[in-house]
Amino acid sequence: MCDIIWCKKEVGGKPCDTINYLDPYCFWNWEGKINCAECGTVYYIHMIQGFMYKGPEEKPGEKPDTSPLYADKPYDGYSNYRPGVEGRTRPFQCIPRAKLLGVADKVKFSIRGRPVRGWRPQPPSAGLAGSFGFNWDIQKLSPEVWEEYQKKLAAGEVKDW
Amino acid sequence: MPEKREIEINSRADTIGLMDLDVRPYPVTPPPTYEQVKPIYERRKALEFCNWAEDNLRFEKRYEKDEALTGYRILDIGLWRLGHKFCASLYGEAGSEVVSIEPPGGDPLRKLTPFGRDEYLLQNKDSGEKCGMEFVNETVNTHCVTLDVETAEGQEIFRKMAANVDVLLDGMPPGYMDNLGIGYRQLKEINPRMVYVWVGMLGQWGPWKDKQSKFGQWMIEPFASAANSWIHNTGLAQDLLPRGKGGDPTRAGIWLADYVAGAQAFLNSISALYWRDELGGTGQMIEVTGAEALMDILDFDITWYGFNSSIKARTGGWDACLNQYAWNPCKDGYMMIGGQTDKLWYNIGFCLERDDTQFGRLIHEDPLLKEMAARNALHSLIKTYTLTTRWLRDTNRVEAETKLLEYQVAAGPVLYIDEVCEFPHFKYRPWVYVHETDYGPLLIASSPASYQLRAPFRCKWMGRDIGFDNYEIYLKWTGMGQTAVNAMKQKGVI
Amino acid sequence: MAQDPRVTRMEDLPGPKSKGEMDEFKMPYEEYCKKLFDVGNEHTKPKPLNGIRWLSCTMYIFTPHAVANLAELGAEVIKLEIPRMGEPMRHTSPFNEVYLYPFHDARPMTGTGLGYTNANPNKYFVTMDYHIPEMREVFYSLVKKSDGLTELYRPGTLDKWKMSYRYLSEINPRFIYVWGGGFGYGPKVFGGSYDILGQAHAGLASITGMHEYMGGHCSKCTNWIIDWQSGTLISCAIMSAIHHRRKTGLGTMIEFSQVQVPTRMLGHTTTMYGKFGIVRQRWGNWDTQLAVHGIILCGKSDFPDADNPQDKHDARYVMVSAFQDQDFKELCDITGLKELYDKYKVYKDRVEGEAQLEIYTALEKWAADKSRSQVAKILTDAGILAEPVRNDREVYESQHYRERGTVRWMDDPIFGDMVVHGGYSTGLMEKSPRRINWHWRPLGADNKKIYRDLLGVPLTKIEEWYKKAYI
Repeated sequence: MCDIIWCKKEVGGKPCDTINYLDPYCFWNWEGKINCAECGTVYYIHMIQGFMYKGPEEKPGEKPDTSPLYADKPYDGYSNYRPGVEGRTRPFQCIPRAKLLGVADKVKFSIRGRPVRGWRPQPPSAGLAGSFGFNWDIQKLSPEVWEEYQKKLAAGEVKDW
Repeated sequence: MPEKREIEINSRADTIGLMDLDVRPYPVTPPPTYEQVKPIYERRKALEFCNWAEDNLRFEKRYEKDEALTGYRILDIGLWRLGHKFCASLYGEAGSEVVSIEPPGGDPLRKLTPFGRDEYLLQNKDSGEKCGMEFVNETVNTHCVTLDVETAEGQEIFRKMAANVDVLLDGMPPGYMDNLGIGYRQLKEINPRMVYVWVGMLGQWGPWKDKQSKFGQWMIEPFASAANSWIHNTGLAQDLLPRGKGGDPTRAGIWLADYVAGAQAFLNSISALYWRDELGGTGQMIEVTGAEALMDILDFDITWYGFNSSIKARTGGWDACLNQYAWNPCKDGYMMIGGQTDKLWYNIGFCLERDDTQFGRLIHEDPLLKEMAARNALHSLIKTYTLTTRWLRDTNRVEAETKLLEYQVAAGPVLYIDEVCEFPHFKYRPWVYVHETDYGPLLIASSPASYQLRAPFRCKWMGRDIGFDNYEIYLKWTGMGQTAVNAMKQKGVI
Repeated sequence: MAQDPRVTRMEDLPGPKSKGEMDEFKMPYEEYCKKLFDVGNEHTKPKPLNGIRWLSCTMYIFTPHAVANLAELGAEVIKLEIPRMGEPMRHTSPFNEVYLYPFHDARPMTGTGLGYTNANPNKYFVTMDYHIPEMREVFYSLVKKSDGLTELYRPGTLDKWKMSYRYLSEINPRFIYVWGGGFGYGPKVFGGSYDILGQAHAGLASITGMHEYMGGHCSKCTNWIIDWQSGTLISCAIMSAIHHRRKTGLGTMIEFSQVQVPTRMLGHTTTMYGKFGIVRQRWGNWDTQLAVHGIILCGKSDFPDADNPQDKHDARYVMVSAFQDQDFKELCDITGLKELYDKYKVYKDRVEGEAQLEIYTALEKWAADKSRSQVAKILTDAGILAEPVRNDREVYESQHYRERGTVRWMDDPIFGDMVVHGGYSTGLMEKSPRRINWHWRPLGADNKKIYRDLLGVPLTKIEEWYKKAYI
């Protein structure tokens, strides 16, 4: 074992079989107790320069010092726990917004309320060999967004900055 | 080999001189020879082209070739900062005649030395005058003259010099030159063809313009990097290392914004010269700031904020846009691995699973990691780099690089400067070399624009004593003979 | 001048010539600068590189930025991309979240990721599979009409396709050919390269980050500094070559390796190793040559209740600078650390490592019960230089950048409402300024414009090439 903990704890007659990932910078030199994201088993580990110098040793009944950032279950189609699942994984606070999506954020309006082409699919609008002109005829191509924009304009939600 | 000798070291001072280039020659191991490199060219069936490149582009041939910007006169005035100096150095490397003005006491930058240690000042072999290494490195091919532009006579001399320059680089505080009556709006009357470039931190106008303390201390880097979110974006997350111990926003180890601003000052001004000379334009004023030049290359960050209010967060050795594309700790330091497209991504996996079969299994089987774009999600980065580091932990940098290069993966170790200087490719080009300066032989970095067919950039000299070129430049640029110059020296004007 | 030398005309005398000019001289300097740069009217002024046409077989950030600089300065840049795929940077986006559409009509679910921004403004986007023999003549016909090319393939690749400088200079002797890559001729000639490799390989990483003994690791500049800066330095080399060509009429080849760029910017690092055998280490947020001149951590965030974690947790850092004796004295007075001033009166003493550790630790202790803006205000009010470390939102909201036009909104012709923070920010130019027309365009958006309007290819032929995926 090294910088993953593949938890084999028997839970309900089956091994837990969850992989807890010990991210390299946090755990490169680290000593303490960490929980399995799935079954909650607490392990003591002591890592020096990325090596599991001691552990993982089960510490039943003790409280973990920290949790892994990410864990997944290869035998369960790689179902996973992402950062910040309470009681299972550690939160990751240094992110650009309160909640990350991990997939395309399909935005129709910029933060000042004007249309921006951040959603899909868009209707085909190219000319010969994929050519485009120098305008976006939003009224024709996306009438529903155009209408929403008119409403925003009327409601004074469209700002300069 | 130098002969063995008995030495006694009682203090740091006793070590000075023990490591100089005559004692510990550079490089320690010889650079690779052409015979060693030739098979590498052949393996990819590129021998003929690579031979052509070596014949035509080699660094060693730079002096026999022409210079690109001969005939342009560049006048540079400024203290403390590297932005205008880097720009002046670029003009100097490209062959222009560059004159740098300092006050009679010299630029305070000359006195800066790591941890304030005088023993690391360089000493001029002829005159004995001492100078800091930072100053020497950023005055390439620059003539150094002294002039007190705060005196009426100094201003008169300055006006004469400015009357015939193509570019004037102003690295003084906002409005300083204008207050003295030798700023752009006065000088453009006597030299309408002059391109006047102000290089600073945040601006000579606007709510956040450059400030001075009440005692006159200047703003210098990293104030510029702090003002445009560059520092906010750099460093490890507090989730990976505790705050105060590396999990903080972090400045670059160098005065980064100065170099970026210097390069853009060069590019803008030389484009302005093209417009003037080729397209019938005139002189003009240009203003380049470190904060903004660095903001130009802030990737997409402010655009991103305008899209959905995202505020970029620091990502340490990782990157939010590409996977794999990171460095992580390894057996003997840090190792960088990059490969984002499917081809390279799986190549990394194939390479690592030779030693660690679990890597291939856990990475290649995972449906979340099969699509290129989806691999950039935060949790994908955590999983990928944890497993990669498990391999790196057992692998040193040379082994890792050798193995990954077999799979055509871009990979390279994080090198410290001694390793940089000894890295075979660096020595072969060479990207660092020993240049004989007035301060004795110095190990310096070569200009990246030195590898050209016709007019490569080059370093001829670096660093000068304070006012070294006074007699030559005042004679040639203003017609003042030595007697006149000496008289001005007496008055403290020069 | 007047025809008759005996006549003295007002307009020949030095000094202001009209009331307007008189006012200009009397104007406060800041106002004068603002008037001079005339922010917002860039498009009505001449383009400094008008008439230059440049070809670009580039990807990622480094080489595209080398050409983007020219495009911002008014050159006509034609970017050739792989049909249907586009270049890899179109497929990169922070945390996979931000894409703009359309990418190409054939791929309605794919967008161009925000990673493409700023490296590709004002370019014309053409698709061409230039490595197939059928397209070679078409490529050559572009070369005949252009001033230069920037490419990034591994050395020898374009030579195999008969597209290297050796071939192109025979078609067009004025052609300026730029290869931008990682290493160039030498033992690692075929080594691939990225920004991060440059940061790692050339020494920048080894001196960026907190010191090992403080528990820190090497840190990357999150933004792709070496790609961008190397790109700008290529543009500098290109402009020098264009000036040289004005004298000689001859083109050239430039081989530019980004991996050496950080080493050139390391200041005294290399020299110090050569002369004194000292290997420079990381020194975190402090400065090795000046003290006090560093970033300190304050106890409280400026926005503890903010929704965004960057505001909430990280608005806690201040850049403090008081390295001159008087400034340092004032700093010690205002923070109640007089004993530090007595101990470290002299520059040399303050800059020593142990002294820096002691001083910054004391300052952070002083700031432990204060917020970032409180610290900045206390010090600024005392006449000392101190500025908060700003984040993207604060940059966006800054009046400074808005007034100077370096952060502005743009109505992108294809993609709509987008912020621009590049281009204009490289420098204000009075008479021939840079400008941004569009962020980028969909894949192959200018096929018709370039193939028919510039090269005269019949529309039916363009259609045929398109169907065969030649373009």
